[in-house]
Amino acid sequence: MAPHSPGTDQIDTLLWIGIAAAAILIVAVTVALLYVVRRFRSERGAEPRQLLSGRRLQFRVGALLTLFAALLFILGIVFTDNAREKPSTGAAGLASLKSEPLKIKATGQQWLWRYDYPNGAFSYYKLVVPADTAVELELLSTDVVHTWNVAELARKADAVPGKTNRVFFTTTDEDSFVGDSATLSGQGYASMRAEVEVVSPDEYEAFVETQKEDIQTAQDRVVELIENGETP
Amino acid sequence: MSPSPRPELAVDGFPSRRPRWQQLATSADHKDVGRILVTGALGFLFIALIELLLMRLQLLVPENTFLDPVTFNRMLSLYGASAVFFFALPLAFGLFYYVTPLQIGARGTALPRLGQIGAALWIAGAVILYAGFTFTPSEAGVNPLPPLSETAFLSNNGVDAWAASTGLATLGFLFLSINLVATLRTMRAPGLAWRRLPVFAWAAAVSSWLMVAIGPVLLAALTMLMIDRNYDGIFFADGAGGAPLLWQHLSWIFFTGTYMLILIFAFGAIAEIVSAFARKPLFNRTVVMASLAAIAAIGTLAWLQNMLTAPIGIGWMYFGMLMALALIVPFGLVIFNLIATLAGGTLRMRAPLLFAVGAIFAISVGLASEVCHSLVAAAWKVKNTTDATAATHFALIGGSVFGGFAALHYWFPKMTGRTMGENLARISFWTILLGLLLGYVPLFFAGTFEGQVIDAYKYFGDTGVTTYNVISSIGTLVLFVGILLTLLNAIFSREGGAEAGHDPWGGDTLEWFALSPPDPHNFDVLPDVRSPRPLRDIRVAVDNRTRRSEQAAARESQPVA
Repeated sequence: MAPHSPGTDQIDTLLWIGIAAAAILIVAVTVALLYVVRRFRSERGAEPRQLLSGRRLQFRVGALLTLFAALLFILGIVFTDNAREKPSTGAAGLASLKSEPLKIKATGQQWLWRYDYPNGAFSYYKLVVPADTAVELELLSTDVVHTWNVAELARKADAVPGKTNRVFFTTTDEDSFVGDSATLSGQGYASMRAEVEVVSPDEYEAFVETQKEDIQTAQDRVVELIENGETP
Repeated sequence: MSPSPRPELAVDGFPSRRPRWQQLATSADHKDVGRILVTGALGFLFIALIELLLMRLQLLVPENTFLDPVTFNRMLSLYGASAVFFFALPLAFGLFYYVTPLQIGARGTALPRLGQIGAALWIAGAVILYAGFTFTPSEAGVNPLPPLSETAFLSNNGVDAWAASTGLATLGFLFLSINLVATLRTMRAPGLAWRRLPVFAWAAAVSSWLMVAIGPVLLAALTMLMIDRNYDGIFFADGAGGAPLLWQHLSWIFFTGTYMLILIFAFGAIAEIVSAFARKPLFNRTVVMASLAAIAAIGTLAWLQNMLTAPIGIGWMYFGMLMALALIVPFGLVIFNLIATLAGGTLRMRAPLLFAVGAIFAISVGLASEVCHSLVAAAWKVKNTTDATAATHFALIGGSVFGGFAALHYWFPKMTGRTMGENLARISFWTILLGLLLGYVPLFFAGTFEGQVIDAYKYFGDTGVTTYNVISSIGTLVLFVGILLTLLNAIFSREGGAEAGHDPWGGDTLEWFALSPPDPHNFDVLPDVRSPRPLRDIRVAVDNRTRRSEQAAARESQPVA
């Protein structure tokens, strides 16, 4: 799951910092435990020295642990702030936008995602976005809690009914990215995948235009059928 | 070792007029109630493991069709409730309830009937959860988040059964906690000041206060859910003025507190065991006791660590991160002092110590892995992946299974008068450790690097997680066998174990002064408590007196020149 956007770059770096911190803690405890258990093992009944620790040693250990935690906290804030930075559209991006990101509404429902594009077109399952363009996803839900999760492009974020959650990303890689929803949402949860296809800005504009026309044609046909007294 | 002399009073007790089961069912004695809770908890451990195995069997190969999604979700919901409310918590409270009155030299508890009602409510909760099988168990998962758990999406009574069951169990723990708090407050032996309290009894006090704080939070949330489901309430319904996120806050306050409670219980037991088997006092009691209290407070305040992908403000996320990372200090100090207590001791590697060392290892791995789930941006990647499953299982299997089994092996002689088989305990320990590593280390990799999500009844072959899941399923089977060995060991040792005597381990605290199993009134007389290690004081005094009289005898027998 390699990062493909500036935000996920920061997320990955912080994750590696976390993994390193966890490894330090796990190795320290394991080595100390193994050493102590092997070194002081004795079935003989002799009473060992009844050692007690003074306050100073405890303060030192406590201070060391506090420093460790504080360092992690600071790194956490720095990289999280970097990851939250709103991306900007590059030179090769969608030209029709000025400084605003491309706003797309992503609505979770049991068990698919619907994407509403600015021109009124919409698509199910698959989100198509232009490359090198800042995208703002507005996450909504019409029923239960869903988690939009395409780890290579952006952060995980919950779509909670009645609330709006926002996710920003941009990428230059024209490729297809897939992720699974990450909050149990009922029977169809395991198959509720999110797919993002990154295409060139021209292809994107063509896509939303065709999509809009197709939807219009389909709706006209439905209206026509109803007017003729048929069931669509 | 020669048994310490203790005052004897030859009373055989009154002949019982009722069958044993009737006596047990109607008894308010803390030892009977404690035994019911511990026995029941171990039974539910077995049931929870069966459910876990069924789920792992489904996840053995990609796109398996062994279980359909509905059955899988039911297993998931039952497993979560069984593991937390009917195994981990009752094991902790059962042992607290059995052991701590003995440790403080009390002849009973302050509010025995309240504790008895608590255990009865817990049993009622268990019956209701599994009665769900007669209609339909909950499908809403380990933490049934609304709106999924609302009637609009799950209209059968499964969620109602889940809510009633966990609610009754929580009310039961609340009653037991109130009794423990009152008992520890008012019934300590003369001279047993708070600072001299055995660490396990201190852990019981901290855990009980914690349950008094978090229990009502879950009860409130469950009540709201029940009103929503059955009386057209709108607490968690959006659009009508309700807030789905409210449930997440309330339930995570409870579940995070419970996580801390289980670890506090484990560390309390481990502290006793480490000190007894190294024959040394705890390296620094005050720091360990203060740290356990800090874990309860800070840990519960870290509930937002579970909500880092929810639509909440970034400031709240940083607050969650701050509290979660602050836990490094008290947890680190406790683990440091436990290891430092072992250092320089003469370690007898008997089963309780073996399990205790395993517990320190597993809990450390679980807690350290939570660092990635606490750093906000890192959590945005690993949250709700199997990395979280693995971290939680390492910490809670470390606390409840390793820590709980350490405590079980340690106090089993007190409860039954017999020790558990040592060889079987060793085999069981290594099998459980192997099972834990095989079962959950692969899930760290699947979650962190391949992003496999939690709670899904299947995964796809093209996501690169197949190997991890195969190993994990095999590991879970090994884990099951290992745990089964200890359960069988307990069953067979109850009647067939070696006779233990009142103090098999050379313990320092007052419970080893009572008979094994103790009389209904626990103690005929009590020694004076002048230090945190009253029984060692007696041994030292007796040794000194013996030595003096031997010296005197030696002097007398010298031929006069």
